[in-house]
Amino acid sequence: MAKLSNRIRRLRFDNDEMTQEELAGRAGCTRQTIIALEKGKYVPSIVLAFRIARSLGVSIEDVFQYE
Amino acid sequence: MAPLQKRALLSLIAGLVFAIALVVVFITRDITTFDEDQGFRLIVYALWIAVPLAYLIIVNLTLRKPELTDERDRLILVKAPKTQYVAILFSLAAWVIVLTEVFWDTGEVPVIFLTLIMISTLIISTLAQSLGILIGYWRMNADG
Repeated sequence: MAKLSNRIRRLRFDNDEMTQEELAGRAGCTRQTIIALEKGKYVPSIVLAFRIARSLGVSIEDVFQYE
Repeated sequence: MAPLQKRALLSLIAGLVFAIALVVVFITRDITTFDEDQGFRLIVYALWIAVPLAYLIIVNLTLRKPELTDERDRLILVKAPKTQYVAILFSLAAWVIVLTEVFWDTGEVPVIFLTLIMISTLIISTLAQSLGILIGYWRMNADG
């Protein structure tokens, strides 16, 4: 079955160890959603995916991988 | 714990306490008192309108604050009515079975039970929504 994985955790640390709270604030979601995303428990909407990528300063493909 | 999840849990606990208190009042004061005592009746009417209303206001206030909810919370909230439907169907089925069995011989059901059915449906609906929200968070954390 296809799976959507992500590198949010890695990219947060690459961005001056950005906190989950900080990323949530920038992407316009709650910290709990960032936690769920990092654990692979939630698949975000395309809009949220773009906002997260933009907040981390990378393209959406650098954050999310469809396997 | 997400803000909506926290409020759903608090609402569920408060709702359960209210429901249990209501059942205790009905049992201790005898169900016939409700029919005769107008003051008691008005208090019960006021409570069962006030409690669900307070719940709706709390949930709506949470939803109106963008920093407290996001798309994941709203997705869970949209799915919560499934639990409500099931809970309401089961409660109505239980009422039908119990009332039919108890009043089969007399062939008529006291009018007071109309009010009780309405009160219980409203309370169960409100509690089931909270439960549906909590189940939604639990399933999302379990399944992905």
